[in-house]
Amino acid sequence: MRVEYINPFVESAFNVMKEVLQADVKRGELYLKSTSMPVMGVAAIVGLAGDVEGRVLFDMDKPTALKIASAMNGEDITSMDDLAKATITELANMITAQAVTKLHELGFRFDLTPPAIFTGDNMEVSNQDVEALIVPMETPQGKVEINVAIRERA
Amino acid sequence: MSAQAADTLEAGKRPDEKKERADKIDFKMVTFSLAGKEYGIDIMNVKEIANAGRFTYVPNAAPFVRGVYNLRGDIISIIDLRTMFHLPAERKDDDSLESLLILRVDDHAFGVIVDNIDKVVGVSSAGIQPPHPIFGDINVKYIKGIIENQGKLYIILNVEKLFAPKDEEPEQEMPGLRRGPARREAPEAAAVSQAPASAPGPAADVNAEFIRETLFAFRRFGVSAVNEEWFRARYAEWKGIRKPTDLQLREQADADAYLETFYSRCTGELWSEDYADAVVSALPKVESRSINVWNPGCGKGYETYSLAVALRRAYPEARIKIWANDSDLLAISMAPNMVFTPENVPEHYVDHMVKGRNGYTFNQAIRESIFFEFHDVMNSNPVPPVDFILCRDTVSFLSAADQGKLFGDFCEKAKQGGAVVLGTNERMPLEGWRRVGEGPAAVYVRTA
Repeated sequence: MRVEYINPFVESAFNVMKEVLQADVKRGELYLKSTSMPVMGVAAIVGLAGDVEGRVLFDMDKPTALKIASAMNGEDITSMDDLAKATITELANMITAQAVTKLHELGFRFDLTPPAIFTGDNMEVSNQDVEALIVPMETPQGKVEINVAIRERA
Repeated sequence: MSAQAADTLEAGKRPDEKKERADKIDFKMVTFSLAGKEYGIDIMNVKEIANAGRFTYVPNAAPFVRGVYNLRGDIISIIDLRTMFHLPAERKDDDSLESLLILRVDDHAFGVIVDNIDKVVGVSSAGIQPPHPIFGDINVKYIKGIIENQGKLYIILNVEKLFAPKDEEPEQEMPGLRRGPARREAPEAAAVSQAPASAPGPAADVNAEFIRETLFAFRRFGVSAVNEEWFRARYAEWKGIRKPTDLQLREQADADAYLETFYSRCTGELWSEDYADAVVSALPKVESRSINVWNPGCGKGYETYSLAVALRRAYPEARIKIWANDSDLLAISMAPNMVFTPENVPEHYVDHMVKGRNGYTFNQAIRESIFFEFHDVMNSNPVPPVDFILCRDTVSFLSAADQGKLFGDFCEKAKQGGAVVLGTNERMPLEGWRRVGEGPAAVYVRTA
């Protein structure tokens, strides 16, 4: 993945999460992964198109998703209902959009697809031939992994 | 870049360590024999191997303590593992040398006498089986596990348990050893230690083997057909530089000293004009108007910029594209915006630079021709077919298996008649490539 793409994603993930959760958010070590990876339980996915092709995946377990949704809505959400899903989707949208805005300022042209959310147990995501950058984020609500896989159009 | 982003990068410095691969060799042990049985000790506990004899006897020590020995100024206790485990040991006469493993446990070093030191064996730690109570002549608590490798069963000893200060048996004796008597007899031991200085023939090869292993452990430098020639020459030279007792690499600094002569010319700086010319003139001529280059392991990007400028000078009209990647996040993230001072760069680069706010950077045309990517070459490599591959001193820093995989990718990605530039001290191990460059420009053209 091009070096220029890394920081916008890391920074916007950090900024947005900190703002919406109003809490201390920590980043873990960035690393690369090529093989398929298990999804913790709730995954929001945003596709990217334009100069590049790829997707950004926000991965967390269900209790974390519920806690984040509760914190963002200011009320207690106990089941993965429409509101919870909409909230997580919105979080994914905010982070990706902010990153893409930053990239626009640097002269890269990206478009977003509407986010989609997947929930369930024992899910796995595989992207053949695309390496993913993993940005782990530690929030008081739990761990969220942001998984960015982008490649240049050949 | 904001401070916050910078420390993100700092944190991600070693992304390659997170790689997962099935069935990988993640446990290395030094193997040896005791009374005809094979044993192993985790290589991370082994400081070095040595041949020594005439240990200084310590009165009133436990029977398995053969004495103390002066290892280049450090007084270490010598334990006879055979006596410790009540195994038969042939008593050698006083002047003969014993095979010693120098072990490191916490901050202490011990010498351990064994029958024969065999070699270093790499295994997958998943294959290690727990010890069975009826197994062997050695107390089960000292055994970490059993592993099978190429038809042989190795008993892996748990060095921490054997020599842990808390342990009942050795504990009572060991601290005593490091008190008075050892110190007082030190001068004698020092004189004796001259004797084993000339290690016999087979041990010399063990030394070379050991250096191979430690180079990989400390610097992930994999000795293979790619760099065997250099390794041998360097080993011969190394024997001239270091004292025979001081050949082995005990820490990263030693490994770095050993590798000092390995790096290619102009590593970590922009290429000098003559080196750049030597490389470009050795590369085959490209007829097409577009030139694609892959530069795995570009590090901070100096070689990428150097090649971009050299190709631009040789092919002013062509459309040049360089895919440069490295798995060191910190190095690669500096590459796209590298700043220079014109006094410090070879003159022929200055024409391709522009003055920015903080100093000189390469101009738009050069920068747009390079894609710097954070990428691990062991994952799939999405580059299109390329005319040239610039990969200096990168392949050598992979394990032998990974080297094979990367060369496979080179064959897949290089066009017919394309070329690979390797490091000055690297050789192309595959068939179907012909060397064309002279001297430091190790250029190989694909013929099949």
